[in-house]
Amino acid sequence: MLSRVAESLFWGARSIERAENTSRLFDVSFHGLLDTPVADPEQEWSDLLRAIGRDELFREHFDDYTPRAVTEFLLWHPANPDSVTASVARARENFRGVREQISSEMWEHLNRLHLLVSRTRHSRVLDVPHDFLVRVREGSHAFQGVTKATLSRGEAFEFVELGAHLERADATARVLLTGVPRLVDGPGGRLWSLLRSCGGFEAFRRNQSEDVQGERVVEFLLLDRSFPRSVLFCAERCLEAVRFISGNSQQLERAVGMLVARLTFADVPQLDPPSLGTLLGDALGGVHAVGNEISDAYFETRVVLPGPYAQQQQQQ
Amino acid sequence: MLDPDPAPTSATPPSRPLGETYDPGPFYDEMFEATGKPRPHYRALAGELGRLSFEEFEERRHAVELSFVNQGIGFTVYGQDEGIERIFPFDLIPRVIPSQEWEVLERGLIQRVRALNLFLDDIYREQRIVRDGRIPGELLFGARHFVREMVGVDPPGGVYAHVAGVDVIRNERGEYLVLEDNLRVPSGASYMLENRAAMKRTFSKLFELHGVAGVNHYPQELLAVLNAVAPPSARGDLTVVLLTPGVHNAAYYEHSFLARQMGIELVEGSDLVCHEDVVYMRTTRGLQRVDVIYRRVDDDYLDPLVFRRDSLLGAAGLFNAYRAGNVAIANAPGTGVADDKAVYAYVPEMIRYYLSEEPLLPQVKTYLGSDETDLAYILEHLGELVVKTVNSSGGYGMLIGPGSSSKERTAYKRRIKASPRDFVAQPTIALSRLPIYMEELRPAHIDLRPFVLSGRITTVVPGGLTRAALRAGSLVVNSSQGGGSKDTWVLHD
Repeated sequence: MLSRVAESLFWGARSIERAENTSRLFDVSFHGLLDTPVADPEQEWSDLLRAIGRDELFREHFDDYTPRAVTEFLLWHPANPDSVTASVARARENFRGVREQISSEMWEHLNRLHLLVSRTRHSRVLDVPHDFLVRVREGSHAFQGVTKATLSRGEAFEFVELGAHLERADATARVLLTGVPRLVDGPGGRLWSLLRSCGGFEAFRRNQSEDVQGERVVEFLLLDRSFPRSVLFCAERCLEAVRFISGNSQQLERAVGMLVARLTFADVPQLDPPSLGTLLGDALGGVHAVGNEISDAYFETRVVLPGPYAQQQQQQ
Repeated sequence: MLDPDPAPTSATPPSRPLGETYDPGPFYDEMFEATGKPRPHYRALAGELGRLSFEEFEERRHAVELSFVNQGIGFTVYGQDEGIERIFPFDLIPRVIPSQEWEVLERGLIQRVRALNLFLDDIYREQRIVRDGRIPGELLFGARHFVREMVGVDPPGGVYAHVAGVDVIRNERGEYLVLEDNLRVPSGASYMLENRAAMKRTFSKLFELHGVAGVNHYPQELLAVLNAVAPPSARGDLTVVLLTPGVHNAAYYEHSFLARQMGIELVEGSDLVCHEDVVYMRTTRGLQRVDVIYRRVDDDYLDPLVFRRDSLLGAAGLFNAYRAGNVAIANAPGTGVADDKAVYAYVPEMIRYYLSEEPLLPQVKTYLGSDETDLAYILEHLGELVVKTVNSSGGYGMLIGPGSSSKERTAYKRRIKASPRDFVAQPTIALSRLPIYMEELRPAHIDLRPFVLSGRITTVVPGGLTRAALRAGSLVVNSSQGGGSKDTWVLHD
């Protein structure tokens, strides 16, 4: 498969997943703050923005963490390359260039999602954000469902899977990394919002009905093998995809394998807070390392030149 | 989706003759000899269409349009409402060409394209035709599309124009005339195929009544041509690719369609990399050698090292790989010199010179600005002629004498005098007409673009793209100017 095509499939899938995660994260925080008294709501918003790595960018464009400012910033502000609108538009651009590789049903659902985010009036969203946020998530789910139902299992499918799962692992790891330190002394409600931010509330409940304990939640979101948004689940799915695609991917397989191993052998209930912090940091770092290796293995095909040319090439 | 062929029920209204109020007018009408009187090869069609009520016809038209929109056929218009897809308007009344007419057309087209390929091979090598004084050298070597870098290059099989779209019109007497040769990157083949597919779904029964020659094999024939011109050095399984300028190109749909139909990779310039005169594409498994490139990128943008330096659409080093014989490019660079509007005037001469045959298909009389006698004639008869600039296409920079204002003519005279070589003129041709269905039958001027393929031999797929000027009275059939298209039926005996 052409590197450009693979890259478009990968980033198209990642971008849709990102739109979904951003809308979920925002939805949970926004509605959580409506009825949970917190000492410092600004801090909550700032945490959320730090979780997605855009706190600094936000402060370049807004003075205060008002719900309205955060809504605008996360959903459509032009300065935010990860806004829901920008993510969906990027997904469409990526898939548009490789339309012959995807099914027409996938393209149609993507177009619908794109129309939804580009045509909905902002005033309406600011009024009642929930409806819009749910529809973005549904659009993403419909796209993923249609992909599984209509796209032949082959390299194209695996690149889509790789993109979606890597992005999901990244999102869950980020939420854990920023959310866990605040669990220690915070009110119990935080655990619920942590679960909800990763879309894991119901799944967790079904799995464990005893008292909700912090380490159980962390273990679940990080290591549960049956929950499709846990970091380990996503990492294992990435490993399968990489093995299917194969090719020039030794380094990459090693990076994914290391991430899977680090998580598989972690014993969360036994960890003290600093060690847990290290584990979460390693998880996110591992996800990033995999992303870099994917790019090196599949997208950056370089001419490997013999003799004197080789040195020049390396210097570039 | 509608039932493509609903059986007539007893409730079907009694058939009324089609075109009872249609006036063929002073033009050659393809379908009607006179009001209410279809020509023999249109009779069955007129009978069948006459049985449909207006509503039924509209339903079918709607179904076809919907299927085009759903498949995203056509071009995307960007603007305020980003991503509106406009379809190339399609008319349901097909153009019918009887087999004896097609035989003449086919032989004439093959003869013409063979001569053009021989001409290209000659002028990029020995230039005998110039030395023998049959074509003035200054006309060729001054032409904008003459590519100096091609001199002495050896394209496999001596083929330059692998795909040619030859535009054919009919005059008021119904004679077929060649209007122009498109030898660079002619487009439209995908519409020919999609129009046929839509017609088969919508009017299945008509196909049973007529013996219509198939066009579906076009992608296979094209692929066979591309395989046939692979460089001799290519070994094993050939890698053939279609090079597109990318998703923002107006014809991107066609590129994607043809690549899918042929089962070849659709590549952009950035997917290609050249090393030591070999072209590779970047894949997830490393570099893969490319043997044949069906390019839909203009000469100017093919290789920034040789042509336009600011081009991002081609690949640096491509031309050297081509010269070295390590990759085939279809169409070859430099074919544009043979579809120059001034060179066009000499095509009959080429046919005589290279094939020792008389041209089977006439063409439109052309006056050259570079010829003194012609120039005087052009300047004197500006009001009756169509004046074109030699290097442009798509109907730009044209003066249509009848209907022009004296101010326009004066301005044009000045331009012609300033650089006569840049202009040619032709008598205004009253293009033939064929009805289109817009609530009623309405006449529309049409042309025809058959696609001529040259590999080891030269062939034409029976049919082509019939374009119609949908705006009442308009003579311009280009899609950007409100043109539409029709299916083209070549009948068996």
